[in-house]
Amino acid sequence: MQVHCTCTHPPMRFAPSSSFPKFIGFSKHFHTLIAPSSPKLSPFVLAATMSTDTLPTQNHTTATTTQRPLQVAKRLEKFKTTIFTQMSSLAIKHGAINLGQGFPNFDGPDFVKEAAIQAIRDGKNQYARGYGIPDLNLAIAERFKKDSGLVVDPEKEVTVTCGCTEAIAATILGLINPGDEVIVFAPFYDSYEATLSMAGANIKCITLRPPEFAVPIEELKSAMSKNTRAIMINTPHNPTGKMFTREELDSIASLCIENDVLVFSDEVYDKLAFDMEHISPASLPGMFERTVTMNSLGKTFSLTGWKIGWAIAPPHLTWGVRQAHSFLTFANSTPMQWATAEALRAPESYYVELKRDYMEKRAILVEGLESVGFKVFPSRGTYFVVVDHTPFGLENDVAFCEYLIKEVGVVAIPVSAFCLDPEDGKNLVRFTFCKDEGTLKAAVKRMKEKLRK
Amino acid sequence: MEAKLSRAAKKLTTSPIQELSHLAQCCNAINLAEGFPDFPAPPHIKNAAVSAINSDFNQYRHVQGICDYLSQMVKEIHGLDINPLTDVAICCGQTEAFAAAIFATIDAGDEVILFDPSYETYEGCITMAGGVPIHVPLDPPQWTLDPSKLLRSLTERTKAIVLNSPHNPTGKVFTKEELETIARACCSQDCLAITDEVYEHITYDTVKHISLATIPGMQERTVITSSLSKTFSVTGWRVGWAIGPAFLASAIRNIHIKVTDSAPAPFQEAALTALRSPPEYFQTLKSDYQSKRDFIVKLLAGVGFKIQFIPQGSIFLFAELPEDCLLSDVEFVKKLILEAGVVAVPGQGFFHANLSSNGISEGSCSYQKRYIRFAFCKSHETLAAVSERLGNLLNGEGFLR
Repeated sequence: MQVHCTCTHPPMRFAPSSSFPKFIGFSKHFHTLIAPSSPKLSPFVLAATMSTDTLPTQNHTTATTTQRPLQVAKRLEKFKTTIFTQMSSLAIKHGAINLGQGFPNFDGPDFVKEAAIQAIRDGKNQYARGYGIPDLNLAIAERFKKDSGLVVDPEKEVTVTCGCTEAIAATILGLINPGDEVIVFAPFYDSYEATLSMAGANIKCITLRPPEFAVPIEELKSAMSKNTRAIMINTPHNPTGKMFTREELDSIASLCIENDVLVFSDEVYDKLAFDMEHISPASLPGMFERTVTMNSLGKTFSLTGWKIGWAIAPPHLTWGVRQAHSFLTFANSTPMQWATAEALRAPESYYVELKRDYMEKRAILVEGLESVGFKVFPSRGTYFVVVDHTPFGLENDVAFCEYLIKEVGVVAIPVSAFCLDPEDGKNLVRFTFCKDEGTLKAAVKRMKEKLRK
Repeated sequence: MEAKLSRAAKKLTTSPIQELSHLAQCCNAINLAEGFPDFPAPPHIKNAAVSAINSDFNQYRHVQGICDYLSQMVKEIHGLDINPLTDVAICCGQTEAFAAAIFATIDAGDEVILFDPSYETYEGCITMAGGVPIHVPLDPPQWTLDPSKLLRSLTERTKAIVLNSPHNPTGKVFTKEELETIARACCSQDCLAITDEVYEHITYDTVKHISLATIPGMQERTVITSSLSKTFSVTGWRVGWAIGPAFLASAIRNIHIKVTDSAPAPFQEAALTALRSPPEYFQTLKSDYQSKRDFIVKLLAGVGFKIQFIPQGSIFLFAELPEDCLLSDVEFVKKLILEAGVVAVPGQGFFHANLSSNGISEGSCSYQKRYIRFAFCKSHETLAAVSERLGNLLNGEGFLR
């Protein structure tokens, strides 16, 4: 008879509702700061942008005749159907080869799948401890030590989440107040902007530009101040494949320490670091105490649908992450956690082979894209590569991607989808090489045959 | 550095339920606190999950078949017509479906009505979204809804009413009249309803679970949330859903995609098998749980607990301490753990100070420290062992000391 230990912290009670008056003050503050750059949308328009297909009929009538409260929340102004879904539907319609969405078309390793199956058969199917089963927290800490040299307490400094996406959401919702200033580097993974806006953050954007997508340090210096609450770093970087260098991270670190700024570091592609060593910002002097390091199983083990991720942070920051997590999803898939602990204990040879495999794929795609006529920017890590499409004479990245799907039969993602200002991305599109070699070769062949300058 | 926590995180505290589990584990106590089974999940569903992993259903996915089955079930059981393509969002458990529904609809300052006693998570989630939880007390000992209490709590800031039925912790199943009262309130205030129906298939005797969305005027303003967890004894799989009018379901789906992106893929596949279970599965589920309910009611009533309300649904019994017991609920549970090696949840964590109780004397709220919640979703062996261990607390006449 198993007793599950799910204790988190010493006894505390809910705050009484004498806190009620604070929320009234909150709402005024919140309303003026949400989505500062977009116009105030009427309930009707909000409802329209929310739906993925044609306008709902009976519902929108109700929304227009009664101003409130049937509208969806204001925080959703940034939440539209993602570009990925749109491109995927178009791809299916035209039978295009999908080098758009970032998940493999091959499966994860057998030993990990078998571990999950065994866990299901052993009856490990009930709620796990909210912040992770002890063995997984331990395995994460062990792996992090190998990777970064940092020693962390699995019980107090590791939180397991439903994928890295939820680690990001829990970190932002647990540590960011409405009105807090957060710096992000564009182009960026699309959940950052959406989740930051859900938390009511004031987003300051710094654009990384080709060919190296180097961090513009002077611009960062003037953007960061004592008012800055946090900065988001994604290394290796989606969509550009950039890896933040030691010099860049040192500069960022000293600015963060000087201004007392937190760092939220998304390192989900850390095992796909090809051209240089991956550096975790948390490992730099003075940085561990202010950094949340996020990662997951999905990319490293080609099991993106299992949704096991984690956030590593000092106890005072972990507290916030865990609070938000407990109200977002409460617990993570139990059998998959057991399997992830196995996965993380894979021998070094697994990671060596993974890298070699992906480097071969990268070579196929990059050589292909270059020979077709794209200007290809070096991808140092992740399984993405960004190219300049302008040699082909289309108006912008979205137009190019539509053309590529319909006329050539290949999917890429327009980089403007990852930018706050679409102008910043209009010359660039992203291809992924997390596909088997046959698929990559077939895509290159189609482009060679049909893509004309 | 504590200053770095968001205001919302600072307000929220640990789950009292989880702390007791810790003490229980330290004392090797039988856990009747947390609401998950200690018996295995149904083999046909586990096999489906294993098969899904082996068949490489391991990448991000949205399994439309779940929406199709749900829309069939909802039509057959409740007579509701929903569009499986637009009205359903698959989420990581009912927890995430509820969180996404709250984030989709609640702006800072919006009021959300909850019925007390209530499951601890709703309030935390509403608070995190900047909303204001307003608790309307249900009246003991039958936990009836007094319409005037509900009406008094409505203001022009009321955005939504949360309804959990069958109800945690009391086991109450809201009656048609109570649902109509709630519906009238929603329609007159033009507000939304968000329901938590995770125990929808666990009702007893001849009591039927009625979905609030079936009351006239409600479908267009109700989000139904539920999951596989309790119906199929797979609380660790994290597959749940939200069903509502297209504009709400779409908003919820968009939030879900940003918060977790996808519910675990192999378990979504297994959900197809689960949702296709024959009527016999659901009948056996009910009758099995009913016998556990009857056992625990008899056991606890037999040793002196006051059980004026027999659970009509869910897997919980909310039992009142005997008149002559001078301990509070927390003190009693500590004693239960230390002397009998059994753990349950003190009821006070489910009650909240609320605006509706302003002006009511301390005395009439004292009932809030007299209840203990027992989960009976445990094997017969476990429940039998509970019976034995309780012996340590009894006097010569077989009643609680």
